[in-house]
Amino acid sequence: MNVNKSIRQQFADTFLDVGQKDKDLVVVVGDISHGVLQPFAKACPGRYFNIGILEPTTVSLGAGMASVGLYPVLHTIAPFLIERAFEQIKLDFCYHNLHGNLVTVGSAFDYSNLGCTHHCYGDFALLKTLPNMEITYPGSAVEFDTLFRQCYRNTKLSYYRVPGTPHGVEFKASDIELGKGIKVTDGADITLVATGPHLKTALGVRDRLSATGLSTEIIYIHTIRPLDVDLVHASVDKTRKVVVIEEHMRSGGLGDEVLRETRDISDVKYASASIPDQFITGYGEYHELCESVGLTVDGVMALIQDQVI
Amino acid sequence: MSEVMNKDLRRKIVDMVIAGNDGHIPSAFSILDIITYIYADVLKFDAANPDDPKRDYFVLSKGHGCLALYVNLHRHGVITDEDIALFCKKDGILGEHPDRTKVPGAEASTGSLGHGLSFSTGIALGHKVKGMDNKIYVLIGDGESHEGTVWEAAHIATNHRLKNLCVIVDWNQSGMQLLPEDNLPGKWEAFGWHTLVIDGHDEQQIAAAFETVAHKQTDRPSVIVAKTVKGKGVAMIEGHGRWHHRIPNEQEYTEIMGALA
Repeated sequence: MNVNKSIRQQFADTFLDVGQKDKDLVVVVGDISHGVLQPFAKACPGRYFNIGILEPTTVSLGAGMASVGLYPVLHTIAPFLIERAFEQIKLDFCYHNLHGNLVTVGSAFDYSNLGCTHHCYGDFALLKTLPNMEITYPGSAVEFDTLFRQCYRNTKLSYYRVPGTPHGVEFKASDIELGKGIKVTDGADITLVATGPHLKTALGVRDRLSATGLSTEIIYIHTIRPLDVDLVHASVDKTRKVVVIEEHMRSGGLGDEVLRETRDISDVKYASASIPDQFITGYGEYHELCESVGLTVDGVMALIQDQVI
Repeated sequence: MSEVMNKDLRRKIVDMVIAGNDGHIPSAFSILDIITYIYADVLKFDAANPDDPKRDYFVLSKGHGCLALYVNLHRHGVITDEDIALFCKKDGILGEHPDRTKVPGAEASTGSLGHGLSFSTGIALGHKVKGMDNKIYVLIGDGESHEGTVWEAAHIATNHRLKNLCVIVDWNQSGMQLLPEDNLPGKWEAFGWHTLVIDGHDEQQIAAAFETVAHKQTDRPSVIVAKTVKGKGVAMIEGHGRWHHRIPNEQEYTEIMGALA
């Protein structure tokens, strides 16, 4: 699979393939990805709904569909599906123990120029408060395809945070398992825990650190919940230095989870390369907003030099 | 003034509130006659198999009126004497809002207003996807109708021609205490629903409305806007005020039971 394939195109392809085999798969969108999902709409008549601009009811409606044995995919932009409809996720899906699939685009500041109304950097923190949730962050097409097929029919509510930019690293489908991180490089001196597009950033940092004689272990996380605690813990126990790189607010993100799960290890130096706990009010290209919060190779290197080594 | 119906169930509700030391009597009395009619004469269900896929659905979106639901589930053998006795007790399954994860026959866990119709719209659309014609009835409050999600769902149901979906609005004027200008029937008509307005405590009007819904010549969803009285049946507790969530004392209990004799 092309490592740079759009993950949005992949989910359209995956839904088409799965939906033709599974008559219980239903796709509900809020006027987003409507064009790319037309092959599914045509191949699976009566199971595709461009339902309207009403996210709370979209979520409740999906839960109602799940209650009669269907497997709904609910899709729109992250702030509207997760933050606006949070109580519907909490009560109608999670409290009811109903299965389903939330697929978003536009997480963090992927829609950089659309401003804070279209940003969503607190979704992991919110959703981690809910029992019966699975939280995934597939950073490549093969990850989406594999994780969706593993999860869409299980008993949980599964969240797929689809980034606009793939990380560009090639994985095989057999490498991908829900709840299992991937050790991308072995190292002894420092651990980088990366998620989403910033696996690419971590690899750039690894190259810089190699030049200084430090060996870097990169742990890639595509599943935020359940987190692969064992893999993270073993690496931090070995290196005693860890930097978590994530496109999420500092509070409540993967970094907090890594800190909590490694709290029994002594003398660990920790740093968080993440989005500060504030609104990101600037405009510009996506990569420019990454630069503004230090989510770049230079930014992470500066953080490491300042706080870790 | 229509005659007070279902006095036996009203007495049972009061006794449950006394035993459980909690509950919303007036809200339950407001919807009791409609729910009782639905369970007795409208809904197809199997008390021994409340999850039967062929069943009709009743969703109580106005969750705080749950005592009216509980006494009917009990009357039809879906829940037991012990369940009733343990209302609001530590080991019981019946609380002050219906809980789908605990109570047989409760289709949704409601209490936070504005969820039940959206969830029910999903049930109705899901059955349409599956080619099944189960009927879905959902009761909402007029105060609950302040919630925007009610109208989100109403919009979807019209546009997807969910003819098997029927909403009953408990129009007891609670919502109009806060927002007095509220033409509920006009709103539902504007949303394209097949709209009926009845006295929600008149058995003949209730029966006629459900008969009309069953034989309607339209593919639109239906709404029965039922004019009701909060606390219907006992003058002392009727209306809006301190009785909303009040437990009768001994003297009040005697007076209420006297009115329901």
